[in-house]
Amino acid sequence: MMFTIARKEVVETLRDGRFRALAILVLALSAASFAAGWRHYSDVQRQHLEAQEATRTQWLNQPAKNPHSAAHYGMYAFKPKSRLSLVDSGIDPYVGVAAWLEAHRQNEFRYRPAQDRTAIQRFGELTAAEAFLVVLPLFIVLASFTAFAGEREQGTLRQLLSLGVATRDLVAGKALGVAAALGLVIVPATIIGVAALAATTEFGGLRADVPRAAWLAVMYLIYFATIVAISLAVSAWARSPRTALVILLAFWFANSLIVTRAAADLAAWLHPTPSAIEFQTAMERELSNQEEMRVRLDRRREELMRRYNVSSMDAVPINFSGISLQEGEERANEVFDRHYGGLFERYESQNRAFQWAGLAAPMLPVRSLSMALAGTDFAHHREFVTAAEEYRRGIQRVMNDDIARNSKPGAAYTAGAALWAEVPEFRYELPGVSWAMRQAAPSVGLLLAWCVAACWLAARATRRLGVV
Amino acid sequence: MLEAVHLTKHYNGVTALEDLTLRVNPGDVFCLLGANGAGKTTTINLFLNFVQPSSGTARINGLDVTEQSLETKKYLAYIPETVMLYKNLTGLENLEYFSALAGRSDCTRVQLLDFLKQVGLQPEAADQRVGTYSKGMRQKVGIAIALAKNARALLLDEPTSGLDPKAANEFSALLARLSQDGVAVLMATHDLFRAKESGTRVGIMRQGKLVRTLETTEVGHADLERIYLEHMHD
Repeated sequence: MMFTIARKEVVETLRDGRFRALAILVLALSAASFAAGWRHYSDVQRQHLEAQEATRTQWLNQPAKNPHSAAHYGMYAFKPKSRLSLVDSGIDPYVGVAAWLEAHRQNEFRYRPAQDRTAIQRFGELTAAEAFLVVLPLFIVLASFTAFAGEREQGTLRQLLSLGVATRDLVAGKALGVAAALGLVIVPATIIGVAALAATTEFGGLRADVPRAAWLAVMYLIYFATIVAISLAVSAWARSPRTALVILLAFWFANSLIVTRAAADLAAWLHPTPSAIEFQTAMERELSNQEEMRVRLDRRREELMRRYNVSSMDAVPINFSGISLQEGEERANEVFDRHYGGLFERYESQNRAFQWAGLAAPMLPVRSLSMALAGTDFAHHREFVTAAEEYRRGIQRVMNDDIARNSKPGAAYTAGAALWAEVPEFRYELPGVSWAMRQAAPSVGLLLAWCVAACWLAARATRRLGVV
Repeated sequence: MLEAVHLTKHYNGVTALEDLTLRVNPGDVFCLLGANGAGKTTTINLFLNFVQPSSGTARINGLDVTEQSLETKKYLAYIPETVMLYKNLTGLENLEYFSALAGRSDCTRVQLLDFLKQVGLQPEAADQRVGTYSKGMRQKVGIAIALAKNARALLLDEPTSGLDPKAANEFSALLARLSQDGVAVLMATHDLFRAKESGTRVGIMRQGKLVRTLETTEVGHADLERIYLEHMHD
């Protein structure tokens, strides 16, 4: 019975010219967004590889010089684009793509794509995630608002119920019918998406991205099911299809356009972050505290004299300037960890607030999950920033150790290619899917809660279908 | 087959139906007559369990409709003033869908076409979309659904209003055939002539009460009209 109802729903929907036009539009939109995403990803990834290689070559080809000069010469760390960023670019356009790794400083990520945009582009870009999470729900609303309200107005609901159709079967059939109609759009769109992903194999095999892509699909499907259930509930509850449509459009508008902005603003208001200038000034103030540095260096000297069992620094067999440089690094690192750590904690708090705002609308948890699985959320950005900073600290250690071990105080000292090559190449792997899911665990819970609540609502609203 | 026992319905303090007791046996065609608001449609809605009775019970085949709502509907077919169908589906597809939902998913295309032929739908109309149908054609599909369902009781709510005389006549003929087959029919109507022609009994309703029941064989057409008007006046 359920399948009979679903089949009739699909036949009716397919014969509706408006639906066909809408389906083609949605499909064209997702195809365009996948194509744009694919192009953007390929371009950026190619540039990324070139730039990474260039910075490495520059580093290796430095002429003989003092290792500390080499540390100042520095290099760039480029953030690799995750492959699924072609589905959801997340915060990528708003955070930098590269950091200058140099002596003494943890620099902020620079070169934000959004900086180069015109004002109109700031309204958001058309990514596949937007097409799926914003446009498709509109399609679901339009395909299902008449499900019960329309039949009630037409009078066919009386006819159906007079036949002795169980409302449970009717609801299941309607849901299945909407799902099937939706499938007619989702399946080809997914095929296009997979093709777009498959067209990027020049940057490595796809296998690593399969679990992420699969989970992404599952989360999107749960989200769609939620929207279908809400639409059916409203359609069963509303007196007329017009009322159902108005309510559902209001929900769609709030869910897809208002809530995201409002939640981001709320999160920023709850956990304000300092301005870039405030942040830098506070950090500089601490870094410029010379007194602390003097105390630390004295302690180092004592340690060294104890270790080598001598009574004068002149008798210590290593160059103290290397030790002193490294001590400066260590101390600065503590300051960086405290300040950047504090800043990042603030962002994390904002993220948590944003995630919990997901109680207000299903869009928020699915958006968080979408970015997390695409590898373009803040947690992934922080992970990369931390890795780049670790790498920078590694460079400093290698350079300063060399100075301490091989140079003589007062004498000019240079090192060459052999030392530059001691610094390994910077490689960054995207964390695994389970890590990403753990970061976004509250969102998984909230999305599931939304789905269950929406299904419960639909079951309740349709338990007694009024015909009059 | 159809039985109302002290059936009463109030809507927000207004009495729509008061203490209705009637029985429609297999083969009976019981016509409910009365002005708008007399309680005819309420009676039918109560049998369909579309509204809950304030007191009393409605039974179909001995089963209480509020307790065994789905079970009682198996015996039932309902034809409203205008049979509502899906515009984007053809007459045949509508019949196929509704009879499948009524439990007759085993009907073949030939059988379904035969039902449409029995009710007098033009053969070429079967594959046309219902959006193009006249009211008479819709009513015919409605009866075809009842036939396909093999209903034992028929609830009709002014099924012939707005039909041209020929279509109304065909409708009555079908009704007579169903009644001969032992179907119990409860029909609400304004049409005294049709009631006398097709009905075996008529009931006159006024302000929610069944004020008079007559055997149609006992009265002539003129008598029926006179009695009806008498009840409407005072």
